[in-house]
Formats: sequence, structure tokens, C-alpha cells
Amino acid sequence: MSEYPDIATIEAGDELPVMRKRAGEAELFLYSAASFNPHRIHYDRAYANYEGHQDIVVHGPLQGSWLTQFITDWAGPRARLLSVEWQNRASAFVDEELSFSGSVISVDKVNGSVELEIYERKQDGSVLMPAKATVKLGPS
Amino acid sequence: MSSSLIPPESLARVGEILAGPVTVRIDRRESQRYAYAVGDLNPIYFDDESAKEAGYRTLTTPPLFITHALVTPKPASTLRADGLYEDSTSVVLEVARMMFGGEEWDFLEPVCVGDEITGTTRLLDLDQKEGKKGPFVRLVRETTFTNQDEQVVARSRQIGIAR
Repeated sequence: MSEYPDIATIEAGDELPVMRKRAGEAELFLYSAASFNPHRIHYDRAYANYEGHQDIVVHGPLQGSWLTQFITDWAGPRARLLSVEWQNRASAFVDEELSFSGSVISVDKVNGSVELEIYERKQDGSVLMPAKATVKLGPS
Repeated sequence: MSSSLIPPESLARVGEILAGPVTVRIDRRESQRYAYAVGDLNPIYFDDESAKEAGYRTLTTPPLFITHALVTPKPASTLRADGLYEDSTSVVLEVARMMFGGEEWDFLEPVCVGDEITGTTRLLDLDQKEGKKGPFVRLVRETTFTNQDEQVVARSRQIGIAR
């Protein structure tokens, strides 16, 4: 039996295990480097404040890649992410604890795929990023 | 009644290519640096056997990495005060700030280390809307990614909100 979701038994309403992330200054700096992104709001606190941000800002695409990790960790290596979309509603800041949670909203047994609804939230529960995704589950 | 935030010459650019085509070979170490920076230690990005067991030809990459793989190196002399590079292809708008609004991705074929990926970005849509905080512009850039076999591997639509 696979440790990953199975198209035969998965149902709408099933929940994905919550994933938590917290990026400190070094992690944000590494992401700037790995994505060749020199935007000052991601490493220069004084400049981020000058632009009206309360602190160093977490990159939008980093949160996008956390989102795909949240999905692929759950779905397993033989699954295939078919599509994903998200909206950035508010900014996340350095050292904030962020959580990803989600659930299955529909199951297509013929194509072997599921639709997911996902939310990234701050600790106070406010939604930073609502998202949707379609995943073709791996063979059981 | 608010005036237009979109100059006519910018509106005329809808459909135009903003960047590319740029072709890049997907590099194992760059892909792994990206995965480590995300904290995504999925073995299909690091271990060839795991990737093959999962049905890939060889190591695959984090799904959104292709955007970053295609970033063109530029000299520091072209950095602006905000740290971003001067970009002659920027769409001119009568706004103070551009924000990251979200993205939409379709993944059509696997991308593996060693693939030659070509990215072409177009201005897909430019639209002025009325929000609670006043008028804003929604700008959509669509990038099409193709591989060495001319297959479209992915499409991304990046949504920018400017006000």
C-alpha cells in the first residue's frame, strides 16, 4: 500500500497535512541568490521600511514554490502537478510563521486527477494566498 | 471619474513580445540551489534513481524553477535604487507602484536537467479596473516554455497589480 493518496479511495473533502514555513534573513537571502533577484525589499530592512513595508518582505515566487512543495509532498513523486494558480493578497515578512492547508474539492476518477483548494495563512489566520491546483495522482 | 492610468502607447503593446525567446539548458546545480533555497528536498530533484523510479528520464526540477533559470545575467551598473534592473521592455503606466498579484501555471510536459528550455514572454492583457482603494491596472504577462523537441512544457501567466 502506498503512503500517497490513491485515486480509488480519495474523496472530496479529504484534507492535506498542514505544512509550516518560516524564513529568516539567511533563507530569504539564499532565495534572492538562487533566483537571481536583487530587489532590495527582500534583504534591506531600511529600504523595505522606506517603501512602506513593516519588515523584509518574503518573495512572492518563494511562496509559490512552497505551494508546489506542499502539493507534491502530499501527492508523492509519481503524481504530476498539472496546473496551479494563486493570488497574493498581502505581504509576508521575515521570521513570520506561515502555514499551508488544503483540501480536495473534486475527484475525476476517469482522468485520475483531483482538484485542490489551498490557503497560505499568517499566524493570526488571515489569508495571504488563496490557491487552486490540479494534480494527476500516481499509479497505486 | 478617474483618468486613464494606461497611456495609449502601452495599450497598443498588448500581444507584443516583452522578453525572449531566450534558451537555457537546465543546470543540475542551479536547480538544486533553487530547491535548497525553497527548502524542498524532494529526492526527484537530487537523486537520479528516485527520479527514474518516479517516471522521469533523469532529475527533474522544482516546477517554478524554469522562470528563474531563464533570468538573463546583467551587470550591476544597470541596477536601480530599488535593486531591480533597468528594464527597457517595462510597460509604461501612470502608477506609483507595481505589486505581485499572483500567477497561473499549466504544466504540460516534464522538465528535466539537461533540457534546453526556451521562454518567450508576451504582454497578454492590460486592463484598468476600479477597486476599493481607487483605480488600478491589472497587467498579465504570459510566458510559454518549450523544450528541445519543440514541445510546450509549461505556460505561466504572471499577474501584476499597479496603482
